Order: sequence, then structure tokens, then C-alpha cells
Amino acid sequence: MFQQTRTKTITIVLLLAGMALYTGFAGFYGRELIIEAAYLVILAISLDLVAGYGGMISLCHGAIFGIGAYVFAVLTSMYDISPLIALPAAIVAGAIFGLFVGAVTSKTSGIFFIMTTLAFGQMVYVYVFENRALGGDDGLSGVERIDLSWLGLDMGNSMQFAWFSIVLAGLAYVVAAAVLRSGFGRTLVGIRSNEGRMRALGLPVRRYKAVAFAISGALAALAGTIAAQQTMFVSPQMMGWMMSGEALVIVILGGLGTLVGPAVGAVLFVFLQHEVSELTRYWHMIVGIVLILVVVLGNRGAYGQIEHMIMHRRRPVAPAKSSLEAASEQEESHA
Amino acid sequence: MTFWIVQALNGLQLSMLLFLLSIGLTVIFGLMHFVNLAHGALYTLGAYAAVSAVAATGTYWGGFVFAPLAVAMAGVVLYTGLIRRMRKAGPMSQVLVTFGLIFVFLDLMRITWGDLALSIAEPTLFTGRSELLGVAYPTYRLFIIGLGLAVMLGLWVLLSRTQIGAMIRAGVDNDQMAACLGINVERLFFIVFCIGCALAGLAGAVAAPVLSVTPDMGTQILIPTLIVVVIGGLGSLKGAIAGSLMVGFIQTFGAVLAPQLASVSIYALLAAVLIFRPAGLFPAKA
Repeated sequence: MFQQTRTKTITIVLLLAGMALYTGFAGFYGRELIIEAAYLVILAISLDLVAGYGGMISLCHGAIFGIGAYVFAVLTSMYDISPLIALPAAIVAGAIFGLFVGAVTSKTSGIFFIMTTLAFGQMVYVYVFENRALGGDDGLSGVERIDLSWLGLDMGNSMQFAWFSIVLAGLAYVVAAAVLRSGFGRTLVGIRSNEGRMRALGLPVRRYKAVAFAISGALAALAGTIAAQQTMFVSPQMMGWMMSGEALVIVILGGLGTLVGPAVGAVLFVFLQHEVSELTRYWHMIVGIVLILVVVLGNRGAYGQIEHMIMHRRRPVAPAKSSLEAASEQEESHA
Repeated sequence: MTFWIVQALNGLQLSMLLFLLSIGLTVIFGLMHFVNLAHGALYTLGAYAAVSAVAATGTYWGGFVFAPLAVAMAGVVLYTGLIRRMRKAGPMSQVLVTFGLIFVFLDLMRITWGDLALSIAEPTLFTGRSELLGVAYPTYRLFIIGLGLAVMLGLWVLLSRTQIGAMIRAGVDNDQMAACLGINVERLFFIVFCIGCALAGLAGAVAAPVLSVTPDMGTQILIPTLIVVVIGGLGSLKGAIAGSLMVGFIQTFGAVLAPQLASVSIYALLAAVLIFRPAGLFPAKA
């Protein structure tokens, strides 16, 4: 069950405040990193919503992220539609795609679920990659940033745009936490723990899963619109399955099923990538080794480990089971 | 007519390559319930091992023999070091660990062989073109088709006519029951894993003269291979054959007849199979 503990509140507030503060001091490049971290925070939160709390390990979140980016890009660059309309349109598109994938895959579980989401994600990727009208593999340029001059903000200014991204990341967290704290969220966690029992209670399990995927899709698409606005360019690279895999890696490194953990993971990921890339060209190998170690050893991720230590100190008798183990057991019980 | 024959041969050649890759993956999957996303990386390793062996021995056949052995050795290391302890973990942990392995392999190969595309020459025995059904077709590609068919036949004999084949089938069907009957399932897993790796290595060596050898060739072919496995049904030889033919032909004919739809249609086929027949077309378990 999701609880907005004090540890969670303190961590997310410190994380976002730290990012905002860093933006004030950093140069242009540092601000670009913050923007990247901010949209990855949103993507990771959206993935954790379904993977950590719904037990649905999605490998199509990269594609939904890309759908958000492309819908935003196509509307602003090709149809000259105001970003103020394109942004909600992109979010709706992500939600619809999420609802579709969620509904279609809701009766599969375990590895079949993973494979089906992979198939849908790749379908979108390949479609965009080969569609010349969408720019094909060259991508699309000329994406507009949202105009908030009526609020006295200049989005052309990278510092203000970074702050805007951080605010959106905070909003995404609030939305996800609110969803998880509602009756809907508790039902979702119940489905993850024991789908059969929830069905026996008379709950429309498949509808719950589909709606959860739609909410997650909306957030992933929001992340995509920020990515599109940051570089004012979109390419199919941002929606391939490696992107989905990277999002999953972020969630695992931060701590699956903790909501705050994936946010921390995203920021760590971006800055480690930046730091390690300066030392060695072989950043992926480091990520790979760390990922293998995290899964083989604790399965808790960075934040999950800290939270576990805090909880463990307070209640030493509490049986500690990492969310990944719980998720795996649940998957096995359905296999 | 010539067009159709050439395209059919192209489709067949791609299918055989996919078959060599997917058969190892599918049996590992069916027998061990293990998801090995790093299978594509093993194929890349095979291709690079072949490049190095050809450079060392001066003949294509050096690479042809060395690559499967080298990749099987890598398989032994992987199995004892990592896979064995991941066997009992859920599919998600397996996906993550083998995803991590993809990253590690990717950079290891970049460190060892560099980023530039490498290639090896076709064996002198199979250079040039041959007449077949009234069309001139590259001999080496015919060799790939023949090799694929030979491996198919060999595996069919192995699985249906030998004792170890019967043990593997028993293990796929019900591993606990097989263990109760005195079959050392753990050792069976190990053998199957190594054979699967060797076949991936063989696929790499066979593909090296046709495709350019790059560190990411494995990530490119991994998805079609997984599609073959899932369409065909986990753990079944018949499924791997049917799946690779379907994917190979759709990809080849799609690319020339309807380029826009070709790739999308493969994923649509996969999604349709997963929704309507989640166990695949020819599931190993009845």
C-alpha cells in the first residue's frame, strides 16, 4: 500500500528544491541537465505507478513518451497550433494510447505482459521511423516552446524553462501520489498483491488496470512534451525500446514501488551519466554492472534501501520484503 | 517470376538466420522459463569471434568453427556466474539482469573490437552466384539456407529421436515431474543453455559475411528474434520454424511490396498472436 510518509515528503521536496536551487547557480549546460532530469523524473514516476504499484512491467513507456513528444511537435511545427493546446492534446493522446495498451494487455501477466507491451511500443516506433510525413528517422524540428508570457515567464530563457519543468515534475508527483492514495490506488495495489481475490470481491480488475495504464500514459506523454520543447526537436530515437529499458533501469536503480525512489533515480542517472561520461566513454557498461548488482543483491534500489533502513530501525520485527521480490512472487503466482 | 523467386530466397535466407537465433532462445525459454535478452549480444560476440578467428587462421572456416565454441564458453561463464542464481527469480529480475548484460557486452565489444563496422569475406567455396530455378543467386546465401535446413533437421532428430531429446521435451513439459523421474534437470538446463549459445555464435559467424559486424547488431536482431519465439510458442521447435518463416517472409516481401506497412505488420501480427493465442501458435506444452 502506498503511504505518503514523512521520509517521502522530505525527500521529494528536497530533491525538487535542490534541482531548482542548482538551476539558479548552474551554467547553460547544467540547466539543460536539470531539464533532462525533470522530464525523466516524470517518466520514472509514471512507470513506477504501473510497474511498482500495479505490477505491470511495461516496456512501452518509451513509446508513450515519444507519442507525447511527437503529438506536441506535429501540432506546433506542422499545424501551427498553440503549444497551450498542443500540450493537453499530447497528454490526452498518451492517455488514450495507454488506455488501449492497458485494456488489450490486461488479461496477460508476467513475461507475456512484458512482451506485449514491447510489441506495441515497437509498433509505434517503427511506424514513426518509417513515416516520411513525420520526418522518418530524421525527426522533426521547429517545435515551439509553450508561451507563458501572460504569466510573466519567458520560456526561451533556459533557467525559467528549467523551473517550469521542475514545477511540472512536482505536479506529476502530486498527481501520482493522489491517485495512489485514493480508493482507486488502493485497489490497484490490491490487484498487484492478489488479482484473483480482487476479482472475487467483484471488482472489474481489467478496467482498473487499463485506467491505471491510461493515467500513467498521460504522465509519460507529459514528460515527452518537455523533452520535445527542450531541444525543440523530436526523433524516433526517443521512443525505441532502449528508451523504455532505460526508464525501467531508472525506476529499479531508484527503488521500484516507492514513487520517490524513481524520481531520485532519474536525477542520479542524469548526473552520473554526465560525470561518468567525462571519465570514460563506456558509460553503458557501468550502468549495466550497477543494474545487475542492484537486482542480484538487494533489489531495493537507492531510495528503497534507505527507506528500508529507516523502517527497519523503527520496527525491527517487521518482515522486510523488497517490492521487487513481492512483484516477482506475484508474477509467478499468476504464471 | 524471377523477382518472386529471388525474394522468396531472400525471405528464406533471413528466416534461417532468425531460426538459428530463435531456436536457442526458445528452448532456453521453454525449458528454464528464463528470459535471456542478452541472446542478441551472444550473436554479436559470435560474429566478432569469427572476425578474429578468420584474421588469425586466414580462412572463413576457422571462424565458422571457432565462433560457436567461443560463444558456448561465454555461455558457460554466464551460466555459472549469473544465470543459475537468477533461475528462481521472477521474469522481471531476469529481464533486468539480461538487459544489464546487453549494456556490458555492448561496451566490452566496443573496447575489444572498436566502433567501426568490420566484415569478413565469404568462403572461397561459396563465392559468386549459382543458378537455381532459373535465377542467379549468391551462392553464400544458398549456403545459409542449406545450413539452416541442416540445423533444423539435426535438431528435429535430436529432439524427437534421441534420449537427451526426450529428456529435454520432458523438462519443457513438466520440469518437476522430470526431476522426480531421475532426470538431472539442472544439468539439462546447462547443456541446453550452452547449445543455445553455440547456435547464437554460429548465427553470428554465418551472418558476418552478409551483414556488417557492429557492436549493436545484436540489439537490432533481438526484437525480431523475440517476436519469432513468442509467435511460435515458447520452447517448441515447430514454433521456432513457423515463426522464423513468417517473420522472415513478412519482413522481406513487406519491404519490397509495402515498405510503409512491412515492419508495422510484424508487430501487429505479434500483438494479434499474443491477444488471441497468448501461448503462441505451436506451444510446446499441450
